[in-house]
Amino acid sequence: MSREAWLDFRLYVITAQSNHPGKPVVDVIEQTLIGGAQIVQLRNKTGTRAEVLEQAKALRLLTRKYNVPFIINDYPDIVIETDADGVHLGQEDMPVAEARRLLGPDRIIGISTHNLDQALAAERDGADYIGVGPVFPTDTKPGRAAVTTSYVAEAARHVSIPFVAIGGITLDNVDLVLAAGAKRICAVSAIVGSDDPASVCRSFLRRIEAAGGKAEIANKKSLTVNGRQELTSARTVEELVQQLGQQNKKLIIELNGVIVQRAQWTATELQDGASIEMVHFVGGG
Amino acid sequence: MANAADSVWSGRYSRQTRFAPIGEAGQRKLADACVLIVGVGALGASLAQHMVRAGVGEVRLADRDFVEPSNLQRQMLFDEADALAVLPKAVAAANKLRHINSAVRVEASVVDVNALTVQQLAAGADLVLDGTDNAATRLLLSDVCFQRHIPFIYGGVAGAQGMNAALVPGRTACLRCLIGASDGEGEADTCDTVGVLSPAVEFVASLQAAEAIKWLTGNQDAMRQTWVSVDLWSFRLRESALPSGREECSYCGQGHGGNSDANAAAERDDEAMHSVVLCGRDTVQVTLGSTLNLERLEKRLSVQSFPLTVNRYLVRAKLPGGEQLVIFPDGRVLVQGTTEASHAVRLCKTYLLERTTDDYLGMEGSVRNEQGSMA
Repeated sequence: MSREAWLDFRLYVITAQSNHPGKPVVDVIEQTLIGGAQIVQLRNKTGTRAEVLEQAKALRLLTRKYNVPFIINDYPDIVIETDADGVHLGQEDMPVAEARRLLGPDRIIGISTHNLDQALAAERDGADYIGVGPVFPTDTKPGRAAVTTSYVAEAARHVSIPFVAIGGITLDNVDLVLAAGAKRICAVSAIVGSDDPASVCRSFLRRIEAAGGKAEIANKKSLTVNGRQELTSARTVEELVQQLGQQNKKLIIELNGVIVQRAQWTATELQDGASIEMVHFVGGG
Repeated sequence: MANAADSVWSGRYSRQTRFAPIGEAGQRKLADACVLIVGVGALGASLAQHMVRAGVGEVRLADRDFVEPSNLQRQMLFDEADALAVLPKAVAAANKLRHINSAVRVEASVVDVNALTVQQLAAGADLVLDGTDNAATRLLLSDVCFQRHIPFIYGGVAGAQGMNAALVPGRTACLRCLIGASDGEGEADTCDTVGVLSPAVEFVASLQAAEAIKWLTGNQDAMRQTWVSVDLWSFRLRESALPSGREECSYCGQGHGGNSDANAAAERDDEAMHSVVLCGRDTVQVTLGSTLNLERLEKRLSVQSFPLTVNRYLVRAKLPGGEQLVIFPDGRVLVQGTTEASHAVRLCKTYLLERTTDDYLGMEGSVRNEQGSMA
């Protein structure tokens, strides 16, 4: 596949075995390819090198069949051994330059970034693309751990290499990410954790297509969520909680200084300029 | 004699009565008051200490667990001897509290607080203080308090974070309305997963105790009507206004309080069914169908030559497979060393029950978290 061709990807899929217990990675990834995934990353942070190698060989064969680039998280040596198309690095991994030296000029090198400084550094260092995220909170500190769509918007303005938005993105909130300027989306659990990965991929692609790089959030409003500015289309507290991926958590939510009862989330409308504090219920004793 | 003893202690509350909002009148109210503390772990021990030192007339302690070395870092009433003796927390705490203030009636109940046991514990109490470690028990306590028109003073800690709110029937919403009814799903961080700092415990217990003393001394108007969230590590403290009750709620809605209507009771009972299903530490609480005779049990287990620890309140047996059974006379067994309810039930059947099949019925296993009651 030519360099120009892979650059056009819109939907990036990453393996996450723990999201589909009992189903082989290769089967799930094949479903995503059937659904139209345009780039595949093998990510296995817990397996041994031998296990990663074995999965890499299988996914290399599979991605060849669908003519889709294949990236391996970490393990430049396995990239070479399996003739994968590239490597994906974290901020804690080897520098881009070191990976470039190992892999040569033609392989793809991507790196995760969490702020604009890291993005611009990656660009200078010769990365081929960057990950921008986590866009939405994924664990303990709602609204705080995540870079939010404001970093997506910054990346859209200032980064010239391809960037892919990642982190907590689902069909419920992808429109916000697209509206912030993302053209490439990566979803992990929303895709490989679903019962029908092919259909979810098709839905994502339709949404990305519909946005066409010039999406606008309908009725968007600006909120302060845990001290950060957020653009959102959420009409109610309940919708905001869903967009932030926090619907399964026990939360205490304060709107303009007053706690909103859980039973009132659906009925409580958000006004432009509202200030929201969201904290997890503290349960120890 | 009694007079001489009285005079020794006559100044006991002087620093508290000199505090103008309390005074002698407030002190008399404290002496007439009864407080229920559910969970005598980190928060509960600290709360109990505050109540007993302040001179609350009757302090009831309810806890289902026993003292372990990992408790000593933050559970202020316990010491090494309590852990070595595997004393139930309620008992160990009561022993210390009676030395602190013998004038206070301290009632210790080694019991799982659930829909079956809570009413008797709460009957006649002026206030319930929260020393629990799980949302399900808190929801149950909130329901009972709103039915009985007494305040429920919630406190929670995990890591360096804490929260506190005094939920007062007629004034504020109940816990069910604030955090939603679903438990299990979305259970918050616990001390088992993220640890807990002792100063965070004391900070929250202080907030709870202050509100309790305001209520009990007749200073209801001084009570905060806010939910406090604090992180002692980054030092960030936030106070959010508490909404009043929700009209449609059968607990905090106007006109509903005190009505134990059929729906509410049914709801509460449903809650109780899974009120101890929690995860965290490697322990399953198995509830046997009947009470146990510890003496007979001890004999039977010693024949099988398991290492045993025995006191008046429980028997602990170390099994060959590495698990431990901690057996209470009320028919509860804490099975340590597994998170599989079925395995825990199997162990109980194998080692605890007489060989009649009837006894096998009515046993239910539920995964629970570290100290049944504590941070």
